[in-house]
Amino acid sequence: MAMPLESILEGRKSQPHQLIEVLQDIQQTHGWISQEAVITVSSELGVPLMEVYRVANFYKAFHLEPRGKNIVTLCMGTACHVRGANPLLDQALSLLEVEAGQTTEDGLFTLDAVNCLGACALAPLIILNGVYHPNMTPAKLRTMIRKIQKSEGGPRDA
Amino acid sequence: MPRIADLKELSSLSDQLAAERNDDAVLITVCGGPGCQATRCSDVAAQVKKELADNGLNGKVRLRVTGCHGFCEQGPIVIIDPVNTFYPKVKPGDVKEIIDRTIREGKVVERLLYRDPASGKVIPTEADIPFYRPQSKTLLSQNRVVDPLSIDDYIAIGGYKALASVLTDLSPEEVILEVEASGLRGRGGGGFPTAKKWAACRAARGEEKYVICNADEGDPGAFMDRAILEGNPHAVLEGMLIGAYAIGSQQGYIYVRNEYPLAVELARTAVSQAREYGFLGEDILGSGMSFDIDIARGGGAFVCGESTALMASIEGKVGEPRPKDVHTAEHGLWNKPSCLNNVETWANVPSIINSGAGWFADMGTKGSKGTKILALTGQVKNTGLVEIAFGTTLKTVVDEIGGGGRDGKAIKAVQTGGPSGGCLPASMFDLPIDFDILWEKGSMIGSGGLVVMDEKTCMVDIAKYFLKFLQDESCGKCVPCRVGVNRLLEIVNDITEGRGKPGQIELLEELSDTIALTALCGLGKTAPNPVLSTLNYFREEYEAHIHDNRCPAGVCKPLIEYSIDNVLCNGCMACLKACPSEAITGSKDEVHSIDMRVCDRCGICLTSCNQDAIVVQ
Amino acid sequence: MSQYITLTVDGSIVRTPKGSSVLDAALLYGICIPHLCHLPTMSEVGACRLCIVEHVQNGRLKITTSCTLVAKEGMVINANSDRVRKLRHNIAELLVTQAPNSKAIQDIAVKCGVTEARYPFRSDDCVLCGRCVRVCEETYQARAIGFVGRGEHRRVDFPFGVRPDFCKRCWACVDLCPMKVTPCEGPMKPGEEYLCGRCESTVNPPQYAVGSCTRCDMGEGFSCEGHAR
Repeated sequence: MAMPLESILEGRKSQPHQLIEVLQDIQQTHGWISQEAVITVSSELGVPLMEVYRVANFYKAFHLEPRGKNIVTLCMGTACHVRGANPLLDQALSLLEVEAGQTTEDGLFTLDAVNCLGACALAPLIILNGVYHPNMTPAKLRTMIRKIQKSEGGPRDA
Repeated sequence: MPRIADLKELSSLSDQLAAERNDDAVLITVCGGPGCQATRCSDVAAQVKKELADNGLNGKVRLRVTGCHGFCEQGPIVIIDPVNTFYPKVKPGDVKEIIDRTIREGKVVERLLYRDPASGKVIPTEADIPFYRPQSKTLLSQNRVVDPLSIDDYIAIGGYKALASVLTDLSPEEVILEVEASGLRGRGGGGFPTAKKWAACRAARGEEKYVICNADEGDPGAFMDRAILEGNPHAVLEGMLIGAYAIGSQQGYIYVRNEYPLAVELARTAVSQAREYGFLGEDILGSGMSFDIDIARGGGAFVCGESTALMASIEGKVGEPRPKDVHTAEHGLWNKPSCLNNVETWANVPSIINSGAGWFADMGTKGSKGTKILALTGQVKNTGLVEIAFGTTLKTVVDEIGGGGRDGKAIKAVQTGGPSGGCLPASMFDLPIDFDILWEKGSMIGSGGLVVMDEKTCMVDIAKYFLKFLQDESCGKCVPCRVGVNRLLEIVNDITEGRGKPGQIELLEELSDTIALTALCGLGKTAPNPVLSTLNYFREEYEAHIHDNRCPAGVCKPLIEYSIDNVLCNGCMACLKACPSEAITGSKDEVHSIDMRVCDRCGICLTSCNQDAIVVQ
Repeated sequence: MSQYITLTVDGSIVRTPKGSSVLDAALLYGICIPHLCHLPTMSEVGACRLCIVEHVQNGRLKITTSCTLVAKEGMVINANSDRVRKLRHNIAELLVTQAPNSKAIQDIAVKCGVTEARYPFRSDDCVLCGRCVRVCEETYQARAIGFVGRGEHRRVDFPFGVRPDFCKRCWACVDLCPMKVTPCEGPMKPGEEYLCGRCESTVNPPQYAVGSCTRCDMGEGFSCEGHAR
């Protein structure tokens, strides 16, 4: 059961500078930040609604829409780029048929392309549901995604 | 643990802990740094714990999980002391053998030792390994012996003694003089003289002042700060405490980027431990000084590495930089005097106080003193974190430490300084690593990221890569950055897709110059650097794209063709099956061919062919 | 204690109230520095970068926006040096190729000497100058609109894209918008955009007469304080 908004806001009411911390907590516990959450945060912290909306849109960490069951994060940092991040991205785009930042229609995957995870010595890297996978290849990625599609998704052509 | 009241108590605790550590019990050190985490060092550590418990060795053998040792390519790394045996690439399945042979029988497991590719010999001792030999590991050596979760480990190696001696023996002005004498310059990229910043902040009007640690580390390819914060967080705290004393601040913040949750956790733990021991809070070590630190998390924005944007983010606002007509040393966080320094800068301070400014200034060059941690990554054999004294040449780093190019390919360039930096060609590798010398040549040390590029890297594509990155991360407030970088990208993209026109190079140069002079913040001002430095040293690649419609490195898709060598192809159909666009035709035991009209240039066939029969030109 | 300070702009001695910006000081004397995001009575952001000048300090010529630079006693400013003109020209060129469908933006381009566009035209309908956002926040204190998003995705929008109840329907945002002032013949057809420049160029090419005003009249909200009509 996700932490209710009330407990996240406890001890932080009327403290506008806590906005980012509060949004972080909401994002982490609920997986996304709903419109209701934005409105509640605005009135409880004393931050104008426009400002909360701005902050939620500015930072990559915050998502204003529900995310997929499996989050595939591709690192597009320099070291990963030089060691083949683009072929990985191509694989992901063609397998999942969504743009980076989007969720598949069946809600199974969200694809993120981020600008460096800080584990550059083992490029190229992806994170699947919080677990780091170093030294990736397009073939490995294909296997990982197909595996999830088979076990969690509906019928799908290979 | 009761609070430590003064220097005397700290000294005796330190001596006591040091004595406890230095008994002859066997110690297994497992590296828990970012690279080793990715290769599942936690499984190795868990297996060690299990083996020790199962064999009743818990009293005789200790396990310590530390921060990054540097040789990330060879992780997970396990070191056995006191024999000082280095085991790279350890798997959980190897642990039993290590414990049985090395610990119980006193022998080494030869098959698991590091084997030097150049000589073919095994090298059991860390210090003898070519990767480590040219390094000067003043900071990273601490990672080797400290468990980041243990403040006692830090105290045992002399931690917080610098703070105690500063509070007891030096005035704030004397501290600033000492840092000035050391020649310490900012390690985050700016290279600004640290003492000068501290002095300006001290001189600024107002009682309320802030000390900030910039752990945003947004440069792609950089993970030095992460390794320090996750490996030795107390060094950062101690540095900030000393700085706070010098400046007259009572509150500090460590701003950690959102993508480093482990660093946030370890920093928080370190802060609460420091509070418990009385190093943070009221009346620290009986000196009357009060100082506390809060951890602030970033939200995922590269631009928040810029100081005014970072401060806005701590205030809970969007990270939009503001014009720096007024310096942050006078009006920074909450409009109060603020001193912002990088993680590595803060971490160097305790050593400078302990070993003296002279010791620090003895290392390095005339203008760049001390050591710098570099993140050596890219197309080089040995990747990882490297700490060298300034003045070490690029050649030493890339060839000796890095071991040269991968898969026998020639190294073409190194990219330093992240998106604000530039590329330097291999012909310039005799340059010493130095703030000013690299700047003169059109690049910069930046935060320390050093990405090695080989002959298969297209420099125009690299310029495109950085422009895309900067466009993505730009806050969008000012025209030169938002629109200008976008137009630079449009032109470079055209060039990589075969639509290059004569005159575009000159336009790129003119627009770059305009952006560099008129953008509002550092991100915009340095955004053209990747374009300018690649144009400077690799102009012929641009010209090949524009005039010959050719990508010499074989990277830019619309300009390359894939074909199958009909002598090498053995008709195995591996590529045919792997091709996602179904562009390959052929049957078993017959030479295959690729239809370029359908081919996506994704490169999957290249990786599936065992005969090296796929040709890209 | 004097309420005024003196500084030098393009060789002319300029006297201005303490605390005013270099831009305000120059405009007061008819030294017309092109500007877009600046509006009197509102805060300065230095976003458009058109008002850049050279601040002469310690023998160095620092490029900075005159709207955010507070005028200080003895300051020396070059508002129209060759380098500054070139930079302004390039910035104006970026602006007009982003959003050519506005008389105000076209006039700025001409004022800055743009005669040919080296980039393909786009047809944005917002240049993100921020006037609307600032008037809503600072003058009418409603905060019904704001900048949302980053980089090339930055846009002005309502919270969640829906006009909120607390929008005061004052229409000040529309009044101040440079985009609503279209060229005399209406919006240009997509793909057929061009640099118009007719209004300015027949009156007074910007290479001439530094320091004399052209009474450019860039639409409502743009009239220069130096020469009120």
